[in-house]
Amino acid sequence: MDKEYSIIKTEGLEKLYGKGAVKTHALKGVDIEIPTGAFTCITGPSGHGKSTLLNLIGGLDKPTAGKVFIGGVDITGLSNGKLAAIRASKIGFVFQFFNLLQNLTALENIQTAMMLNPAIKLTSKAQKEKAAELLELVGLLNKADAKPYELSGGQQQRVSIARALANNPDILLMDEPTGNLDTESEKEVLEHIFAVHKTGKTVIIVTHNDSLAKKAELLLEIRDGRCLNYTP
Amino acid sequence: MNILKLVARNLFRKKGRFVFTLLGISIGMASFVALLSMGENMQSVVKAQAESLGASFMIMPENICIYNQMAIVTGETISESMEYKVFEDLTAVNDVTIIPHLTQKTSIKDKPSVVAGILPRETYAFKVWEMNEGVFFESDDQNAVVVGIDFAETRNLRVGETVTVKGEQLPVIGILAKTQGNDDMTMFAPLTVVQRLFNKDGYISYMSARVKDMSKIEAYEDAILKIANVQVATNDKLLESVLSIIGSVNSTLRLIAGVALIAAAFGIINTMMTAVYERRREIGILCALGGRAGTIFKVFLIESGVYGLLGGCVGVVAGYVVSVFAAPIINREGLDMLKGVSAEASIDIKLVLTAVIVSFVISILSGLYPALKASKLTPVEAVSYG
Repeated sequence: MDKEYSIIKTEGLEKLYGKGAVKTHALKGVDIEIPTGAFTCITGPSGHGKSTLLNLIGGLDKPTAGKVFIGGVDITGLSNGKLAAIRASKIGFVFQFFNLLQNLTALENIQTAMMLNPAIKLTSKAQKEKAAELLELVGLLNKADAKPYELSGGQQQRVSIARALANNPDILLMDEPTGNLDTESEKEVLEHIFAVHKTGKTVIIVTHNDSLAKKAELLLEIRDGRCLNYTP
Repeated sequence: MNILKLVARNLFRKKGRFVFTLLGISIGMASFVALLSMGENMQSVVKAQAESLGASFMIMPENICIYNQMAIVTGETISESMEYKVFEDLTAVNDVTIIPHLTQKTSIKDKPSVVAGILPRETYAFKVWEMNEGVFFESDDQNAVVVGIDFAETRNLRVGETVTVKGEQLPVIGILAKTQGNDDMTMFAPLTVVQRLFNKDGYISYMSARVKDMSKIEAYEDAILKIANVQVATNDKLLESVLSIIGSVNSTLRLIAGVALIAAAFGIINTMMTAVYERRREIGILCALGGRAGTIFKVFLIESGVYGLLGGCVGVVAGYVVSVFAAPIINREGLDMLKGVSAEASIDIKLVLTAVIVSFVISILSGLYPALKASKLTPVEAVSYG
């Protein structure tokens, strides 16, 4: 595996939640580097900062202190608009509870991600064609017109993966993507995740699944807001 | 996929809420259109009625108040009266044609009615009337009535029938052709007959006057005032007084319409705020996918604007329908001073456009705060919600 440079890097990353006397120190100085194309798992007990780290890396939240670099660019000082542009073009998110827009079809959910990327202006026809290709990739072309509530959990998550790939991002951030699935669906979803990783994407997964963690090229353990086990 | 399609999907996903919110703004706009259209119409109807009087000026009792002036314009009875002798004295003024009127209230076929005592021959010539059916009075003391065409229609009266006035039966000998004025809603009898029936011997209500040369109208006024203690008002002056009253009624109607609109605006704010709270996760998803604050703002604002546009259109239609049904009730039950003012509804393109624009602008303004709230949500706060 050729990992030429770190696509993601954090320096002294801290996150403090709350105000006044009630404060939670979610991250206490996390320094990590994730090489381009690495299959990375973040593990650790619940409530110890895994999702916070993922949100900071993805630009969904801003750190209290420290820096996050995406492709060498410090994103901590960027405006909300520029952060949104980075999320649209460079990062794809997959959530535990799928987070599909319930009033849109599977195809339209993927098209929405394309619509929100200001860097690429696609016609409606081009959007549809590309979204159909992505649905085919996750084996759900026959469910293009189905609303999320008409799909099983595994199918919804596969649509969610297709949506994350809509703008051909370099990085895929997944927060417990199989945490809400049965064993069969979990197996299917993981197969698609591995397939996506093989296309050269950097995949970072927050997981409690030990067997998945064992397959990681890079394993990070977050405990009490610190990165304890960093195995490059 | 584009923002408008996304907005459409958002609006129609909860059909019940969509319909009720739309009803809120539609009802507000309907009140706005109905009240304004009736108000505007009152003005134009009063203008038309004043024109139909066919007089250059009116001669009224000295102490007549503005409400009685309005009654003259709208064809109602007035509470004051003056002696018939005043009319006889004023006929001495050259180049002025004057006719007297004695208006009294009565009831014909259980409907409140106005009976006007006139000098038949002089009034027929002055008004340039034509007959639709039957004949006009043959003498100045004929015990009979001639009615306006709308009067006959609303009371289902035909020539040859009799009406009872103050216990006396009078035959209907004729129906006037349409005049487009109050005369259409009035019953006429010779002056002496009305004076006798209502115990008003020697009295009249007011006089209409027409001059040959309008440029000398002030001179005629002076000549009249030298002869008698009366009040003289040109048609325009009379109209101005009446319109000032209608204007204040209109202001009240506008105020009521304004309150209805404010209530509708709060309905939109409430709906949109509820939508923002309910859709926090969705907002978070859009943010995670790269949606900018401006995009989120736009989505919610357009949703709000659509409520305004649709609500405005539905409201305009409903408003006109309401005004069509409400006009007769207002005519029947309205304020005394407005009785006789037909509050008919007519479609005014300017009002239609104003209503739709007002509805749209109010909705956009109502949507600003919720849209701003939605766009200020941090992505992580929104996506973690629920």
